[in-house]
Amino acid sequence: MTERPIRILVAVAAAAIFAFPIWFMVSSAFKAEPEVHAIPMHFLPHDFQGFAQFRLAAEIAPLWRYFLNSWIYAASHVGITVFFGALAGFGFAKYRFPGRTLLFLAVLSTIMVPFQVLVVPLFVEVKWFGWENSYAGLIIPGMMNAFGVFMMRQYASDLPDELIEAARVDGAGEFHIFLRIALPLLLPALASLAIIVFIWSWGNFLWPLVIVQDKDLNVLSVGMTSYSQPYQREPMWGAAMAASTVATLPIAALFVFFQRYFVKGLTAAAVKG
Amino acid sequence: MFVLPAVGFFAAFNVFPMLFGLYLSFTDYDLLNPPLWVGFDNFVNLFADRLFLTALHNTLMFVLGATLPVWALSLLAALLFDQAFRGRDIIKATFFLPVLPPVVVVAVIWRVLLHPNGVMTWLIGGRWGLTEIRWLADAVLAPLSMIAVHDWAAIPFFMVIWLAGLAGIPAELREAAALDGAGPVRSFWYIELPHLRATAVLVAALSSINAFQTFALQYVIPTDPGGPANSTLVLGLLVLKYGFQYFRMGDAAAVSMVMFVMILIVTMIQLRFNRRD
Repeated sequence: MTERPIRILVAVAAAAIFAFPIWFMVSSAFKAEPEVHAIPMHFLPHDFQGFAQFRLAAEIAPLWRYFLNSWIYAASHVGITVFFGALAGFGFAKYRFPGRTLLFLAVLSTIMVPFQVLVVPLFVEVKWFGWENSYAGLIIPGMMNAFGVFMMRQYASDLPDELIEAARVDGAGEFHIFLRIALPLLLPALASLAIIVFIWSWGNFLWPLVIVQDKDLNVLSVGMTSYSQPYQREPMWGAAMAASTVATLPIAALFVFFQRYFVKGLTAAAVKG
Repeated sequence: MFVLPAVGFFAAFNVFPMLFGLYLSFTDYDLLNPPLWVGFDNFVNLFADRLFLTALHNTLMFVLGATLPVWALSLLAALLFDQAFRGRDIIKATFFLPVLPPVVVVAVIWRVLLHPNGVMTWLIGGRWGLTEIRWLADAVLAPLSMIAVHDWAAIPFFMVIWLAGLAGIPAELREAAALDGAGPVRSFWYIELPHLRATAVLVAALSSINAFQTFALQYVIPTDPGGPANSTLVLGLLVLKYGFQYFRMGDAAAVSMVMFVMILIVTMIQLRFNRRD
C-alpha cells in the first residue's frame, strides 16, 4: 500500500484542525488574561497560571453550585431512565397484554416529537403544578426518556425465554425475575444507555433555561452564559475557558474510560428512528 | 404491570403537553387570562409575520448548510479512518473531540475564537493581511459562522454513524474487490456505496432534523440572540422569543407546530427511502 503515508498525513491534518478549538479552550484556561488575547496565539501558556482562572470563574458566578446542580440533574435522569426504561422495556418484550403494541407505538412516537414543541405547553403545565423555579420543575419533566424504553425492549427481546420460564418454575416472583435475572444480563446495554442519557442531560439547555430563574438552581449549561460576554470592557476569556473546561470534563472522562459504550450509545441513539 | 410507570410518565409529560400545545396554537394565551380560542388565526398571521418569515428563511438556509457539507465531509472522514494505519485510534479520537463539549460550551469557545481581532481572524485573515473580520457583526457572515460552528461539531459525530455503516459491510466483499484489482474509488462505488444506502439516508435525515431544531448557538454566540439584524434568528429562537419574552404562548405554540410539521416531512421522506429497499 503506497498511499499509506498520505492517508496518515491527511488524517493528522484533519484531526489537528478539528481539535484546535478544544486545545485553545484547555490551554487558555491556564493562561493569564492578556496571554489569552495574544496574537499570534501562544500554543502553550508562557506564564502558567495554575488554577487561578478556575478560581476567578468561581468568583464571577457560582461555578461549583452550577456543577453540582448539573450532576443532580443528569444523575437523576440517568438513574430513573435506566431503571424504569429497563423495567418497561422488559415488560414490553416479555409479557403479552391487551394494547401492548399500541402502547409501545405511543411511547415510541414520543421520540419523534422535538422538545421545542413541548417546551411551551410543558412550561404552562409545570406552572400549574407550582413547580416553576424549583428542582422538581427542573428535573421531573425530562427524567424519563422514551429512547430508553425503546432500546431496552430491543435488548430484552434477545433474552432467552427458557431462562425466565425456569426461574418461574422455581417459584421466583416476576419482579424478582426482572431484578435478579433480566437486569444483570442487560448490564452492557444499560451502560450504553446511561452514558447517552448523561450526555443529553448534561448538555441540555432549553428546559433549564426557561424553567429556572433562580441563580442557585441553574445548571452548568445555563450558567455558562454568565461567561459568554467576552466583548465587554473587562474581558474574562480565561475564566470563560476555565468554566468551559470544567463543563466538558465529565463527558471527556466518560469518553476516555468507557469509549466502547460511549460510541455504541451514540450510534444506537442515532439509529433509533 | 412493569410498563405502567413509564407509560404514565409519558402520558403526563409527553402526550398531554403535545396535545395541549396543539390546542394552545389555536388560542391567544398570555399566562394571565384564560386561553381564547381563535381558530387558525395564529397560523394565518404567521405567514404575514415578517419575523416568522425571516426565521423560516434563516432556518432553511441553516439546514442546507448543516446537511450537505456535513453529509459529504463526515463520509470522507469515515473513509479516511476506516482503513487501519499507524496511530489511527488516537488520531481518530482526536478528530472526535468536538463532539464532547455541550453545545453551550461550543458556543462560548467560538464566541471567543470569532472575536473580530481574535484567533480565527489571525488564522484565516492573516493570509491576506486582514487584522479584523466581523464574523458575528455582519448580517451575511454571522449566519455562515453559525453553520461553520455547527458543522465543526456535527462532522465528527456523523463520521461515527458512517463508520458503523461501513463496519456492517462483509469484509470478504471488500477483500474480493481488492483481489480483483479494484482501486479504492471503484471499490467504493460498487461495494461500499450500495451497502451504505440506509446509512446515507439516516445521516441526511438526522442531520436535517437536528438542524431544524437549532437555537443554542444562535442564542449564545451573537451579541444579541438572533442578531445582528435578525440574521441568525431561527425558528427555535422565535419559539423562545414569543413564548418567554412576549408571553404570546399561542403564537409560540403555532411556530413550534410549523417546526414539527417540517421535521415530520423529513421523517416521512426518510421512511419512504427506507421502504424502497
